[in-house]
Amino acid sequence: MIATLWRFTPLLILAIVWEAATWMGLISEFALPRFSNVVASLGTLVQELAYQAGRSMLRGGVGFLGAVVVGVLAGVLMAWYRPVRILVDPLMRCLYPMPKSALIPLTIMWIGLGDASKMTLIFIGCLLPIVLSSYNAARGVDKVLLWSARGMGATEREVLWEIAVPASLPEILSGIRISLALSFILMVSAEMIIANNGIGYLISVLGEGGDYSGMFAGVITISAIGFFADRCFVMLMNRALAWRE
Amino acid sequence: MSSVARSPRDLSDQAQGASGGITIAGVNYEYRPPRGRPVLALDRISLEVAEREFIAVLGPSGCGKSTLLYLVGGFMPLQQGTIAVNGRSVTGPGPDRGIVFQNFALFPWKTVRDNVLYGLEKQRLPKSAREEIAQHYIDMVHLSGFEDSYPSQLSGGMKQRVAIARTLAIKPDTLLMDEPFGALDAQTRSLMQEELLAIWNQSPTTVVFVTHDVREAVLLADRVAVMTARPGRLKEIVDTKMDDLPQDEIMKTRAFLDKVDYTWNLVREEAIAADSKKGR
Amino acid sequence: MALAPQIGGSTAAAPPGASRAGSLLRLAFDRVGPFLTLGSLLIAWELAARLELVMAFLLPPASGVAMRIFQDLFTGRLAYDIGITLYRAISAFSIAAIGGITLGILISRVAAIRWFFDPLLSIGLPMPKVALLPIFMLWFGLFDASKVLMAAFSASFQIVVTTWAATRGVERELVWSARSLGASEREILREVVFRAAMPQILTGLQIAMPVCMIVVLVTEMIMGGQGLGDSMLRSARYVDSPGVFAGIVEIGLIGFGVMKIMEVLRRRLLAWHQETQKDQ
Repeated sequence: MIATLWRFTPLLILAIVWEAATWMGLISEFALPRFSNVVASLGTLVQELAYQAGRSMLRGGVGFLGAVVVGVLAGVLMAWYRPVRILVDPLMRCLYPMPKSALIPLTIMWIGLGDASKMTLIFIGCLLPIVLSSYNAARGVDKVLLWSARGMGATEREVLWEIAVPASLPEILSGIRISLALSFILMVSAEMIIANNGIGYLISVLGEGGDYSGMFAGVITISAIGFFADRCFVMLMNRALAWRE
Repeated sequence: MSSVARSPRDLSDQAQGASGGITIAGVNYEYRPPRGRPVLALDRISLEVAEREFIAVLGPSGCGKSTLLYLVGGFMPLQQGTIAVNGRSVTGPGPDRGIVFQNFALFPWKTVRDNVLYGLEKQRLPKSAREEIAQHYIDMVHLSGFEDSYPSQLSGGMKQRVAIARTLAIKPDTLLMDEPFGALDAQTRSLMQEELLAIWNQSPTTVVFVTHDVREAVLLADRVAVMTARPGRLKEIVDTKMDDLPQDEIMKTRAFLDKVDYTWNLVREEAIAADSKKGR
Repeated sequence: MALAPQIGGSTAAAPPGASRAGSLLRLAFDRVGPFLTLGSLLIAWELAARLELVMAFLLPPASGVAMRIFQDLFTGRLAYDIGITLYRAISAFSIAAIGGITLGILISRVAAIRWFFDPLLSIGLPMPKVALLPIFMLWFGLFDASKVLMAAFSASFQIVVTTWAATRGVERELVWSARSLGASEREILREVVFRAAMPQILTGLQIAMPVCMIVVLVTEMIMGGQGLGDSMLRSARYVDSPGVFAGIVEIGLIGFGVMKIMEVLRRRLLAWHQETQKDQ
């Protein structure tokens, strides 16, 4: 407990320096609003923040979960069945070096400016890293594990789902964690470009309107959400992989 | 000194006839990497293993002994030649040929008990029977109390014992062992060799034991098949049946030391040849 | 010698005669397969567009996209857009690399700096740093500076963390050897630690480059100001589908090119490392 507090003390120091510098006028209020004002904004804007953040999370969540389900299945099946691999592999190789944000104009053009567009963007963007890590994980399973299972009379299906998938889980989860961070980036980016709702939109609009404390409050909110999402995921990951030491 | 029957096959041989055991005839095997030239791993291997015989396959690294084991196990498809186990051709892996690997191959996300239960589940045995059998084998390898531990919490020797229990639990006719004690330190290895013999004496099966350790081969096996360096050919088969004595006493007898000496000389030149080939 | 990979599929023994022909066919399928898929996808794309299976203005024919790319090439528009985007991305990368590696090394060596930055890194790494763009725009203006600094900021976290892990992980024995051979602390840092940590540091850089590209594109889309991101977004707004697709292809090719260049550089710099030697 004390260790955690000590670990995050630098943040406390930064907050104090921030407040002091702005209070003493060392930094203009137009560049950096006072820390206390930002905190106050968090309070006054809490409803708006919650609403917009909620909408973002919903959209992002659907897209992300879809990518997880489809991606893991696709990656594992690709690794296991040759025909699937031959068909899908070249597609993966082409799409891999492309920055996912290049998809934003495409989804805007095809699907428009609503929720569906953003969900599709996050779905496609997160799909690739997950497919790739699932594929690599499943291919990299130690052969002797598969052979042992076969030698005990397991059918090919059983070997795939009872042995290969659990053995690949660590690497698959790593890929999903990376995609989680990516989903946040794509979500905020899309919302700043298609500015109609969501936390990214809120931040832009507050900034354009001159409410800098509000803007900072929004930035802190989404940063906190991103941080906690990652932490929660790591906790779940460690729970699922408790057998590792 | 009463002798624990070391080859109970003497009793059953007359009853079974010659259909049991393993027949390997004219097996060639070539590795074909996606890039580069194919490599001949096994060259015209022919070998007969009698039922319930304990045979060791001995040779330097890269001589193909593990490949031969995997072919018998059905993990790799035959290219040329035939392999028959208990009268039936090998077409794939199966619970009649249990395998134990050098790096244990335990399912790391399963507890000791779940690992041992896996093969039994595949045999679709009823639940109570499964649990009873699993417990029996866990006790047999002296791991009672560790049923709920994960492999990552066990030492090397313990892990190998789980692997052996897991394989024995499905009662295979043939036991294939791929340098099972290679990853253990010398002391643990010694203890495991004793335990293996004790287990084998209790419930004898056909055993094919791959190793590069000459003393281990001579100690454990009835016969030792010595292989040449790559491409692996059968150089000579040495008869290494010993009198029944406790392990540490056997190792001091003249017979044992002579056998080890003889076998080592067979292997020595192959080992030197294999070592120089590696540089290429 | 690698074990023949046998994930999935049967391991039944193939009839000896068929194996040669069968494996030739398989080899052909392997080589041609990828092109077959891509080729048929391209053809399907062309047909779908021409036959107007999807609305014409949404899905331009592949040939149309290719034409647009060549058009852009000749009018110099392509060079201009790519030039600007690349200039921003490379600037960002350089800043992130120099700053990130320096900070990473400092963190691994000076406890106070480590204490200070640890929570910042911990929070910053999983955070969508793009959310800070409005703040950057407030501080650094509405032109190139914000874009470049935003990208540099985003990529630097990864570089710092990787460099820190890399320098921390250098085997003590290497450092001790150098010290006993009379090297000064500075020399050890530069010649031993840095060299030994290079593989990992380079990996971090290889991850950071695409991040720079992604963020530069996004900032261009959000802020405008020329560049591939900006022109792609404009094409989307005017439903100029050949423009959007041309942009995607161009970005894909650049991304691919950048990746390849980094791989070549990595091989050059790490010629001494075993990972490079494995290929030879």
